[in-house]
Amino acid sequence: MDILAELGPIFCEVFDDDSIVITRQTTANDIDAWDSLSHMNMVMAVEVKFGIRFALGELPSLRNVGDLVDLTVKKLAKK
Amino acid sequence: MIIDHQYNIGHICTTTQCENGLGDKVAMRWLSPHLEQCDYTFSDLDRHSARFANVLRKLDIKPGDVFFTFLPRMPEQFFAFLGALKLQAIVGTLFSNFGEEAILDRVGDAGARVIITKKGFLKKISRIRDRLPALRFIIVVDADDHVSADILSYQRLMDEASDEFITARTPPETPSVLHYTSGSTGKPKGVLHAHRSILMQRSTTESILGLTPDDIFWCTADQGWVTGTSYGIIGPWSMGVTQVHFGGGYNAEEWFRILQDQKISVWYSAPTALRMLMREDAELYARFDLASLRHICSVGEPLNPEVIHWARRTIGKEIYDTWFQTETGAIMIANRPGLEIRPGSMGLPAAGIEPAIIADDGTIILDQTPGNLCLKVGWPSMFTTYLNNSSVYDSRMKAGYYYTGDTACRDADGYYWFQGRSDDVINTAGHLISPFEIESTLIEVPEVAEAGVIGAPDELLYEKVIAFVSLHRQATFSRELELKIRLHVTNKLSSVATPHEIICVDSVPKNKSGKIMRRVLKARYLGTDAGDISTLED
Repeated sequence: MDILAELGPIFCEVFDDDSIVITRQTTANDIDAWDSLSHMNMVMAVEVKFGIRFALGELPSLRNVGDLVDLTVKKLAKK
Repeated sequence: MIIDHQYNIGHICTTTQCENGLGDKVAMRWLSPHLEQCDYTFSDLDRHSARFANVLRKLDIKPGDVFFTFLPRMPEQFFAFLGALKLQAIVGTLFSNFGEEAILDRVGDAGARVIITKKGFLKKISRIRDRLPALRFIIVVDADDHVSADILSYQRLMDEASDEFITARTPPETPSVLHYTSGSTGKPKGVLHAHRSILMQRSTTESILGLTPDDIFWCTADQGWVTGTSYGIIGPWSMGVTQVHFGGGYNAEEWFRILQDQKISVWYSAPTALRMLMREDAELYARFDLASLRHICSVGEPLNPEVIHWARRTIGKEIYDTWFQTETGAIMIANRPGLEIRPGSMGLPAAGIEPAIIADDGTIILDQTPGNLCLKVGWPSMFTTYLNNSSVYDSRMKAGYYYTGDTACRDADGYYWFQGRSDDVINTAGHLISPFEIESTLIEVPEVAEAGVIGAPDELLYEKVIAFVSLHRQATFSRELELKIRLHVTNKLSSVATPHEIICVDSVPKNKSGKIMRRVLKARYLGTDAGDISTLED
């Protein structure tokens, strides 16, 4: 499964912006609507999409979309 | 500052500074979200804003017409704001994370004729465009060419406009800036200011924030809110001070790097941000040299004493808490350099400001007793009205006092101490949020039958938004539905209005006339006594 490709539509929906194109290097500074509160929406959207749960302690270490992809892959492998 | 009766904010912040010999001085050091740096002198600000004034004039915008900015922090925000003011248009600023309903409520109520935005935000505007009959043009900052007859390229318009503009003499009562503020009932109200506000914005920038012309100032507030315009634009530039503006969000390491590398001497931020910094590893602060930083000021919600003690202990700086509102336009009560700080207090009134603590029956209360925090009317930055809502304006003015909606008490030495709100408005991270607006948005979700929203105390945000929802019989509460509800609120209102918790209940408590009893919900959430519930619906 190409997690990055699956995340694209999620980001567009969560941040309500169809022009968003994400890469592994994308950070909150690249997306206008990505603040600490909409970040929670994004995390929940990823959890619902893939049927996984992130621990609170895992989230602060996410520096960019690449880290989110890697963590998602790890969670899916444990399912 | 006022020369030849010229009160125009746009003119004073740019042209006057150039006339005073500051044309080559850096007015704005712009730092992109990735910390790329670009300097704009006062002469640059003057020219760009003049061009934009000409752009609006060419689009047939006249003095008194309403123009809105809907942009993230970016240089064009400042050029457009100042240029529209030079033309004597009324400038409303929208928080960049507003959703479509929040935009509609504000742009629609004001009857705005032009809005400036960026491509990524067009989707939100296009969904409500048919409900904005007065809106004639949308200017897009990142479109290379005009998109259609009414969706225009900022770059092309600016390229075609002259950078010479003579600002008409602007009397003090001329309408200027429009910010919307939330109440506990009804739609947000448009708080309209006049160009005379610059008198108080400038004087408090000097006397409260303690700025001098040689300072380098950083105000972290978004230009969508009053702090971002009064002190992120008007106050400092009216006195020729260099400001740093950063396009990125909160990041402790980047913020400290900016403070250090840009040699910020006065920093104006918010308690939530300062509390977030307080949670960082102490090792972080030790890596940065903040020798240039003279002091920090704070605004938005009450600053708890722990933050003041933390700043003294870890970075050796004072934090001065300040208090004002959208309606006041400028700081009214504050701690400041040269005054003894009483941690947890709002401080003392600014020069010329006469607060009073008044009981509900209109009598002025003696010291040490809480009551309604009121201000004697007539201060220079006082708002002129709530746009299209003069009855609410009149209801807030009684016997020569403006009722702020906050409650406070005064100690024997004249220091004011914030107690809370006299209504249900939620203050989360310095943003005032209407529970009514969120409830109205929640019940738009097909599965939601009823909703009640409260603010609950929060260590980081001061208050957090808690939503209670009851569902229609056929619906089931699930993570998918919770996400759907959250996204609906974020995309319709804003991320700051999105509930931190959504609690599914069998029914939302109401009184016999159908009014949601938020105090019962709050007591239920906090596990406290709900008090008199005799009016509760069966």
